Amino acid sequence: MINEVTIILFVPILAGILAWVLDVKGVRELIGLAGAVVPVAYLIKAYPTVADGKSITYSFTLGSFNMSFALNTMTWYFAIIGAVLGLTMALGMVSTAKSGYNWLFALMSFTAVLGVFTAQDFVSFFLFWELMTFASFMMVLKYNRHASLKYFVLSVIGAYSMLLGIALVYARTGALDFTTISQIFAKDAQLTGLSGMGYHATLTFSRTDMILLFTFFLTAFGVKAGAFPLHVWAPDAYSETDQSYTTFFSGVLSKAGVYGIFYVLLMMMGAKLYFSLGTFHGHPLFLYIIAWIGAITVVVASFLAVLQEDLRKLLAYSSVGQVGYILLAIGTGTALGFSGALFHVLSHAIFKGLFWLVTAAVILRTGKTRFEDFGGLAEKMPITFAMGLVAVLSLAGIPPMAGFASKWLIYEAAIQAHMPLVAGAIFLGSALAFAYVVRFLYSLWFGQRPSDLDDVKEAPAPLLIGMGILGILNIVFGIAPGLVVEYINKLFRKPVITGNYYKMITPNGTYNALSVALVLVAGIVIAGLLYVYGARARKVPVTDTYQSGNPVTEDYNLSIRWNFYRPLAEALDFWLKYSWDRFYERLGQLSEDFADVLRKSVYNGNVQSYSWYLAIVLLILALWGVL
Amino acid sequence: MNFDVRLVLEVIGMLLYATFMGFIFMGIERKAMARIQRRVGPPIYQPIIDTLKLLGKKESISHGFIYDFGPIFALGASITALLFLPLANFQLFSSNADLIVVAYLLEVPMLGIMLGAMSSGNPYSALGVQRGLLTMVAMQLPYGLAIIAIVQHFGTFKLGEIVALQQIHGWSILVPALLLAMIVFDIVFQAMIGLEPFDIITAPAEISMGPMLEYGGKQAAILFTQHAVQLFAETAFFAILFLGGASNLLELLIKQIAVLFIAIFVASIYPRFTIDQAAKFFWKWPTIIGIIAVLLTV
Repeated sequence: MINEVTIILFVPILAGILAWVLDVKGVRELIGLAGAVVPVAYLIKAYPTVADGKSITYSFTLGSFNMSFALNTMTWYFAIIGAVLGLTMALGMVSTAKSGYNWLFALMSFTAVLGVFTAQDFVSFFLFWELMTFASFMMVLKYNRHASLKYFVLSVIGAYSMLLGIALVYARTGALDFTTISQIFAKDAQLTGLSGMGYHATLTFSRTDMILLFTFFLTAFGVKAGAFPLHVWAPDAYSETDQSYTTFFSGVLSKAGVYGIFYVLLMMMGAKLYFSLGTFHGHPLFLYIIAWIGAITVVVASFLAVLQEDLRKLLAYSSVGQVGYILLAIGTGTALGFSGALFHVLSHAIFKGLFWLVTAAVILRTGKTRFEDFGGLAEKMPITFAMGLVAVLSLAGIPPMAGFASKWLIYEAAIQAHMPLVAGAIFLGSALAFAYVVRFLYSLWFGQRPSDLDDVKEAPAPLLIGMGILGILNIVFGIAPGLVVEYINKLFRKPVITGNYYKMITPNGTYNALSVALVLVAGIVIAGLLYVYGARARKVPVTDTYQSGNPVTEDYNLSIRWNFYRPLAEALDFWLKYSWDRFYERLGQLSEDFADVLRKSVYNGNVQSYSWYLAIVLLILALWGVL
Repeated sequence: MNFDVRLVLEVIGMLLYATFMGFIFMGIERKAMARIQRRVGPPIYQPIIDTLKLLGKKESISHGFIYDFGPIFALGASITALLFLPLANFQLFSSNADLIVVAYLLEVPMLGIMLGAMSSGNPYSALGVQRGLLTMVAMQLPYGLAIIAIVQHFGTFKLGEIVALQQIHGWSILVPALLLAMIVFDIVFQAMIGLEPFDIITAPAEISMGPMLEYGGKQAAILFTQHAVQLFAETAFFAILFLGGASNLLELLIKQIAVLFIAIFVASIYPRFTIDQAAKFFWKWPTIIGIIAVLLTV
């Protein structure tokens, strides 16, 4: 039986395989693009069904496992974000991908992510999760072995803990499909609540079980989402791959972790975790932990983003930080917070996707990645610059952009949930976001241009189309946040945020995006009139500036490209001494050394010593009474 | 959206009034500083004369589109921030925005100025941009904590309601926790309006006005106007949050001038911090006081 879900799931990977097998320039791009367009088209076609609350399901049997997938209100939301980003990734890759290899693994992870989002049982969830890790690992491996291994090791840790979690669930319930497990958890939660009131009840999951499950799944999803302190793979992996692919990698793959936390920890086990783990200062303990992980991720990653010297690293750390916002919003534990988190999933995907496409274009045209090598590109790549500016405004949360709408919800949610210190972290994070986007603007686009960038051309058309799609979405969802909010309300089956297309009303606050936009435009028009009234301006080059009376020569590039935020680094020098990344690296080195010692002393290839080991083991077994 | 003539007239009137008063505030600032330093000082309307002179310049230079757009965007954003504040008995657009939106809108002009300054290619401007952003990073944590304390105490984000509640229960600063928040906010306020000890951004003696350095002629006039509007909006924001708002413009004006004078007195006593000193300072005392304030209002 073939239905929409099948097509959405398997067309990308088939296209990827075809593109890889044929590997003819021109053909593979067309096939790849087609493979990315189809899921978007079918998902749009499925919209009326899922908006009504119905779902489209598909299942097949693999071995003794029954694998089932469903497109419903919840999964459609994540799937469409993934598919749109996948489409823009494909558009970018038309310009940047140089081989069928890239197409194969990029589209493989496309399929895998959609599989993760639509899976309805743990077997398919886990299989597609691993496929996703594998495909993205292969994409990084081609560019940088060290980065890919770091990603792989942490992913394996995540995968094992997920497997342990799934095994524990299976051992207690004997079920693997989400519906049955959810029911069991819901029932168990009720019983736990009752037993808390003095009734005696036999529980399926004990408190220890729940602590273990929480730890296992949080580790598994935290690795993928890049939550502190498991984020260390992200900056390297995001930067050491095809930047068009990073659009998808950072925009969507990290959301798989968020989806996991949302779906498994919250919707499936939320009530049970709440009753088993109890509360802390009136907040469910497990959510409180997630909120703080999010807050710390925001602050740490944003500080590190500010201090980066490499374009890709800056954006990678910023991605990690923005996912922190999502975790933080989930951690508030209110419907408003969940709405904010879901909205931020969308807006982070579209603005960060846009950022990575801009980066892909810049790297494609200049071949450089470090800030010190850039400068003055705004004149050479005006459209790319305009798109970069849209991304900057959205990320910095300037009203009326999509980034502001979702951030505003998160602010409201965090403050209303009475988590003042967590909310303080968002304020700090947003100032840091201002700081790093300005670094991006200044170093790339403004100032004196190094002479070797004089013949840089505008980005190629497919990339520009991809950027255009995301740029327009940023503005549309910014001015009409109601479009998204209306859909999110459907997920909760009640209006969490009221208002209309242009206006969001929460219990205590209100934001009218359209009126902000109109007043802003009016204000700019007034200021523009003042400008037009003044005398005509004479255009002068960037080298013709005030230099305290010193003559300016062309010999020195006067732009500050390196160590731009040095005073901040000085103010933070105490904290910068500690790094989780270095800690893990040292741990890795230590275990490598240990293995080396083992190899030299124990596994020395000498038959005589091996026979001695055998004799000792037999002796021990004999003493133990086994033999 | 139906066309509301009264609203339009109010908006135009308020813009003219705020711009004029903002310039007068700038004049007061210079005059008061001069009197403290036992100088005569310029007349109080001097900033208006300066701005008109700049607008009347025969020629100005430009480093490209973004260079011109930066100041225009900044002024536009300042005007937007102003119009979303409930100013005395004029509600303007304030029913459509809340504290977080206004707090953000008050920061947007900074981005406009930075955008223009960066595109000028002047290294002093770039230094000014860096200092400006780092000041912002430094001050944002205590600033956020002060705002959170306000929201937690009143249980609403709407500025109109915050004013109304203060008119019933007395000014915010009568509440001990919010008095702490006010102290924090006042320290941050010094940085927001760019006065000593946090005039790190412009620092005339070090980087010759930083971001504004390259600007002359009409762009400088726009930046002056922007500063005037911003000064008016920020003092009004202070009065709304902590001093009970106002029921008429005169009351608002008195409160604004009171806020301004505190800032001027602080500014004329203290020398300038370097940026890392400012960061360390902001992350120490104001943050600690801010945390106490938010924990008291939970």
